[in-house]
Amino acid sequence: MTKSHLNMAYRRVNGPGQSLTSILSHNNCGIHQPCRTGTHNICMVSDFFYPNMGGVESHIYQLSQCLIERGHKVIIVTHAYGNRKGIRYLTSGLKVYYLPLKVMYNQSTATTLFHSLPLLRYIFVRERVTIIHSHSSFSAMAHDALFHAKTMGLQTVFTDHSLFGFADVSSVLTNKLLTVSLCDTNHIICVSYTSKENTVLRAALNPEIVSVIPNAVDPTDFTPDPFRRDDNVITIVVISRLVYRKGIDLLSGIIPELCQKYPDLNFIVGGEGPKRIILEEVRERYQLHDRVRLLGALEHQDVRDVLVQGHIFLNTSLTEAFCMAIVEAASCGLQVVSTRVGGIPEVLPDNLIILCEPSVKSLCDGLERAISQQKSGTLPDPEKIHNKVKTFYTWRNVAERTEKVYDRVSREVVLPMDKRLNRLISHCGPVTGCTFALLAVLNFLFLIFLRWLTPDSIIDIAVDATGPNGAWTQQYSYSKKGEENKEISESR
Amino acid sequence: MEVERIFSDIYGGRLALQRRQYSPFCREFCLGCPRLSLRSLTAATCTVWLVAYGLFTLCQNSMVLSAAIFITLLGLLGYLHFVKIDQETLLIIGSLGIQMTSSYASGKESTTFIEMGKVKDVVINEAIYMQKVIYYLCILLKDPVEPQGVSQVVPVFQSAKPRLDCLIEVYRSCQEILALQKVTSGSP
Repeated sequence: MTKSHLNMAYRRVNGPGQSLTSILSHNNCGIHQPCRTGTHNICMVSDFFYPNMGGVESHIYQLSQCLIERGHKVIIVTHAYGNRKGIRYLTSGLKVYYLPLKVMYNQSTATTLFHSLPLLRYIFVRERVTIIHSHSSFSAMAHDALFHAKTMGLQTVFTDHSLFGFADVSSVLTNKLLTVSLCDTNHIICVSYTSKENTVLRAALNPEIVSVIPNAVDPTDFTPDPFRRDDNVITIVVISRLVYRKGIDLLSGIIPELCQKYPDLNFIVGGEGPKRIILEEVRERYQLHDRVRLLGALEHQDVRDVLVQGHIFLNTSLTEAFCMAIVEAASCGLQVVSTRVGGIPEVLPDNLIILCEPSVKSLCDGLERAISQQKSGTLPDPEKIHNKVKTFYTWRNVAERTEKVYDRVSREVVLPMDKRLNRLISHCGPVTGCTFALLAVLNFLFLIFLRWLTPDSIIDIAVDATGPNGAWTQQYSYSKKGEENKEISESR
Repeated sequence: MEVERIFSDIYGGRLALQRRQYSPFCREFCLGCPRLSLRSLTAATCTVWLVAYGLFTLCQNSMVLSAAIFITLLGLLGYLHFVKIDQETLLIIGSLGIQMTSSYASGKESTTFIEMGKVKDVVINEAIYMQKVIYYLCILLKDPVEPQGVSQVVPVFQSAKPRLDCLIEVYRSCQEILALQKVTSGSP
């Protein structure tokens, strides 16, 4: 019984008037008021969220913030990160559930398809969630949530953040799982047209239920600063993880060739990874220590400081769903040279990017073109590039487009159980289809058992922090004061 | 003045909240849990005895049966004395402090007292408990080193686990007293 405060998180308060609970008196809680038309109660589910850092994490956070701004209620569900478990609030009342589920591999939770149902169902019911939005195909929790949401008859949306192959055993298996998971999902969002094509082929989907909504950058974080760079030499910046699929082997061929040709050329390489050793070898062999700087791993806030030191940004990726790095570089006013792979050609207009084939020779040609433009001074002004790029990809735009997907999804019907089983069996092959149909039936029986054990009526309805009846939005003066009081937590 | 209202706990069981108001500065909340039901008592006893008879038929040793008698008796005593809480009381006196009492089914009582100088605030918080997410009332204690900080969180009504509507009622009363206390101590 001493476990009743097993996981807890509380707001640091300045006085009795500022705690979350004090807002209760303003908000007639306990009685759920029906949603204003057009707003949704959205639950984002992914294994990946802060304090873990990465593209998916910031995507979820930024998208949630913009959706809150547009009047929706948003909560985030992820697994516990070390001591960070329980319930937290982030800026403007974004509620995050850190569930105590076991992490298996690479920050992804173990899945049995069933064990997370009681807790997820409790959250979906108490928060009156209408749309489940899962992120990332690597996240087991996201797939679990989709599975349970479909059993409970809620609308589902899935965002895919990565590209996969078709050839090796592991991708064949993940593609099969993705087929099962997505065949009865209401809507899927991809970050580029290439990624959409990839997902549609991998999961054998109807392309009409797949939308393309690109990622965004915060343009205020990536502003040009031409005084920071040294105009006597030309600096090429590379920022990526140093792994095979980012084409670091190509980079190791380009560096010596161009350094021999142009004595006033420098390289700055940011990032860490197993391929770093190759670059160090190249630097050693050609005695380029003063001209090639390897910075190692970079924090996200330092990226801009590195970018503004260069004239040209080089991206050598071999596969890429949507390249954020080139948008960030262009936003800092750099000329971008990149390989023509994956979704990259869709990202920037032709006059801002030089596209090359993924080979050393083609990339060198592209870079030489950029260098000669830089020397003759025909490159556009960094400020001009920035002003152009900042209109391309904004989170507000992403939120607006995602909202349209939600509107569309909320008008659709969730497949009833019999149709869902039919779909699974007809769509995923006889063996997998029947196995998962059986699992879906078991999951449904488990849900009925849980509903008998704790009926929906005895689950307390949570006090909304965001959304039409949100305590945070009604108490705007509070949230302004509250922002300086960062969330702290204590668990025992 | 005594008011009694019926609420339910997070499992759907019946809870009776008695509110006694002695003065504007002093209130007492009494949460009575449901009594030990005959059904669960019978179920527990039957299980122990069925297992005992099963073992007895296997090993033909009458020691098993006498052991079963002791297990049921000691188990019941231990349960009533250490586990089963019949009533939880929260007494809040504005000028003095907060006292929490839990009375066990056997009559044992355990009491905790927190003086007003240590109490920072009373709030309702959310926690993940077993496979549930529940609301609970807790008392925040001041950190003696850092006046803005919170050193400890003391949960109230730990065994009764009332639902939100009940917690809000207790919370509002506590806040009224705390606010009054602030006013009077602020202007002596």
